[in-house]
Amino acid sequence: MQTPTVTDAMRPPYPAEPGAGVYSNKLGMWVFLASDVMFFTALIGSYIVLRFGAPGEWAKPGAVLNVPLTGLNTFLLICSSVSMVKAYAAIADGKKYFLRKVPGKMLQDGGLKFWLLVTIICGAGFVSVQLVEYIKLVGHGFTPSGYREGSLLAEHALADPLKYGAGVAGLYGSTFFTMTGFHGFHVTCGVISMLYLYFTKVLPEKYSPQDYRGIEVIGLYWHFVDLVWIILFTIVYLI
Amino acid sequence: MLIWLYLFVMTIAEVLLAFELPVARNLKLILLLILAFWKAMLVALFFMHLKFERWRLRLIFIVPLPLAVILVTVVIMEKVF
Amino acid sequence: MTTVAHTPTQAHHEPMSFWRKYIFSTDHKIIGIQFLFVSLFFLLVGGLLAMQIRWQLGFPGKPMPGGGILPETMVVNGVILPEYYVQLVSMHGTFMVFFAIMPLLVGVYANFLIPLKIGTHDMAFPRINMASFWLALLAGLIMTASFFVPNGPIRSGWTNYAPLAARPDLSGVTVGQMLWCVSIVVLGLSSVLGSLNYITTVINLRAPGMTWFRMPLSVWALFITAILGVLALPVLQGAAIMLLFDNVLGTHFFDPVAGGQALLWQHLFWFFGHPEVYILILPAMGMVSDIIANGSRKPIFGYHSMVFAIIGIAFLGWIVWGHHMFMSGMNPTLGSTFMVSTLLIAVPSAIKVFNWMGTMWRGNLRFHVPMLNAIGFVSMFTIGGLSGIFMAATPVDIPLHDTQFIVAHIHYVLFGGSLFALFAAMTYWYPKMFGRLMSEPLGKIHFVLTFIFYNLTFFPMHIIGMGGQMRRIYDPTIYTFLKPQQPLNVFISYAAFALFATQFLFAFNFLWSLKFGKKAPQNPWEDNGMEWSLPNPAPHGNWEKTPNVYRGPYEFSAPEAGDKDYLPQYLKLPTDRDPVPAPLPAGGH
Repeated sequence: MQTPTVTDAMRPPYPAEPGAGVYSNKLGMWVFLASDVMFFTALIGSYIVLRFGAPGEWAKPGAVLNVPLTGLNTFLLICSSVSMVKAYAAIADGKKYFLRKVPGKMLQDGGLKFWLLVTIICGAGFVSVQLVEYIKLVGHGFTPSGYREGSLLAEHALADPLKYGAGVAGLYGSTFFTMTGFHGFHVTCGVISMLYLYFTKVLPEKYSPQDYRGIEVIGLYWHFVDLVWIILFTIVYLI
Repeated sequence: MLIWLYLFVMTIAEVLLAFELPVARNLKLILLLILAFWKAMLVALFFMHLKFERWRLRLIFIVPLPLAVILVTVVIMEKVF
Repeated sequence: MTTVAHTPTQAHHEPMSFWRKYIFSTDHKIIGIQFLFVSLFFLLVGGLLAMQIRWQLGFPGKPMPGGGILPETMVVNGVILPEYYVQLVSMHGTFMVFFAIMPLLVGVYANFLIPLKIGTHDMAFPRINMASFWLALLAGLIMTASFFVPNGPIRSGWTNYAPLAARPDLSGVTVGQMLWCVSIVVLGLSSVLGSLNYITTVINLRAPGMTWFRMPLSVWALFITAILGVLALPVLQGAAIMLLFDNVLGTHFFDPVAGGQALLWQHLFWFFGHPEVYILILPAMGMVSDIIANGSRKPIFGYHSMVFAIIGIAFLGWIVWGHHMFMSGMNPTLGSTFMVSTLLIAVPSAIKVFNWMGTMWRGNLRFHVPMLNAIGFVSMFTIGGLSGIFMAATPVDIPLHDTQFIVAHIHYVLFGGSLFALFAAMTYWYPKMFGRLMSEPLGKIHFVLTFIFYNLTFFPMHIIGMGGQMRRIYDPTIYTFLKPQQPLNVFISYAAFALFATQFLFAFNFLWSLKFGKKAPQNPWEDNGMEWSLPNPAPHGNWEKTPNVYRGPYEFSAPEAGDKDYLPQYLKLPTDRDPVPAPLPAGGH
């Protein structure tokens, strides 16, 4: 019976019956993502249901929320997904370094350390922009329970109830903060995990082209978080 | 990375659609949703490598989706009544 | 004939401190045993709460013995206050469902049995397994803490319906509600982590030769249960978070005044809740299948249809949740749809019952304690299922909803079903866990007494339910139409006290046998499962070398076995070939 070697880390467990055909960590992460789909289903599904059955008109897109800034933020998150793909490709090719000069090319070639750092920075940037947006919104009077009494938004809502969805501001606030908040929580967890991996595994160059399971698994999580945001951005900010 | 460009263009298209273009409300809604899900699919298939994985793995991701649809549909039917 | 048993040496593991070996262990068997002790404790807590409920229902307004030790907010002059009564009812349900039965079935047996029965050394993610246990314990402690905060625990039933649950000014519960929500979210995380472990392990780590259709039904059931868990629990987590925010942040998810929907909670809760009850019964069904096949010395009747029945129940279980809401004022079209799907789901359950009967038919029956409890399971679950059919029909459910009839149904499937199966399973796998056998005579007495008192307690509930006694009611005698039924309530209470007392027999048996039970031979039940190829108790790391599996799990009374009436999965006969493991894919992944 063949005993598994370290090069087999990224293959299905051995000896065993044919299972999913992928190594266990990847299978486990996919199952976790399926459960996360259900979690967001509860939150996003409730939003859809509440909005559909709302007794009044919802606020117009862009009235309360800053769509251009968030659009840019969305772009930032998508870029972080791209840099994650690049990080994955880098380690698959064995590029453990940070940056290396390539003869004949203008830009230096980025390795795992570079691209993962880019991902972390973009992810942290996304969370920071969201936090700043939250603080501004609460300052203007947009809270989870609606427009705060006597705030700027409450005045706007009195002046133009249709544009600001005055009747259902409570629902608007509740659903907005819960959905984006938990998404932000997921992004934060992702950033913290990547930081942990960066310092414990990437910098000491523990990943190799034979075993970069951690990168693939965190990459899957990161892309999932991006995917959820793509959907959230549309249905929360643009509709 | 062509996918990245694709996603970027679609995001711009979405924002334009939501704000600038004179399109009827319901049509706008449907188009935006289609764009959003299309982008999500791109991320899932290419970034998450699903296009190149075997069916058994794809099944894990696909299974929760009908459940989500059932829940939302039933609750909306409920509210409509 | 060779076996793959090996002498239990830990030569290949460095010696571990007491803490790493028994407290912060990543060994799935130890984690299973940890779950066992914690869950049995919560089972006791739930039982104590039930005794207080039964006191109040049987003797409303009379001072309760021992009531003096409880504070004035709960009990005044020994008499249970109405506020405390609804808390008792809510917390009895919460503790029993979330912290007793679910961890006992899934936390204990999925952890303990799965790697042993599929022939691998541990779970796919041992440290996540450990996290799952500690999170569950944390959740249990948070839930228990809700008894000790101002205004006490929740009052809205274990189903914690909004808007009552979202309005502290109406329910009177402040911190307790938040603690309930937080505890549920933490428990949900524990369950999801555990379930993804079980799923990954069963898919990826089966020993060579352990094909899908050679897995024992207990593993199938635990696997499908894990799939249900991984998809259902997050929905509850989402709902609990929304409820928490309604309480704490002033959101309006369930507040009709601000445009929220009260029914949204019910839909979300029961969308989780119905798969949850299948989580509470499927592992029991799986383990009972193993035990009945063993006790009948026959292969399980219709193995494939049993597997498809489990899958069918799990699949249909997603589209029946509305039957908990027939009285909510929901859309009647939906009512009919849910009625049809609920009636349909009775079919795979019935297939299983008939298959169990078919297994026992003309079998060489051995009435050991697990077999007795397993047969008790089949009969009691059938009754519970039959009362379920009554309620599946919307028109019949209308008078029965939220009466004691429902309570009877719940307890027939959960106690008569899951708990009898647990008594069977705890006795059956006790040797594997602790190396000793539980006392057989004591087990038989416990079974007979439990069976009698259990039926005396819960069967009359059907009757008083049909007579109109509501659920969660403080004092039935305030209604003149319920007064004639009160003697039955008294009778039920006495039976319930006797039932509770009988369980001390089991507790004594369990604890006493840990030290003084008869030392178990390697395969005391003469069973075929992979776990019996290991010494008792099973050693750390299970097998040194991955075992091979040569046949299905129910080869009882097989001609090839010679003079024995069982043929284990791990036994290699001269006519058997070694299974070929899945080849390592060539080049890259």
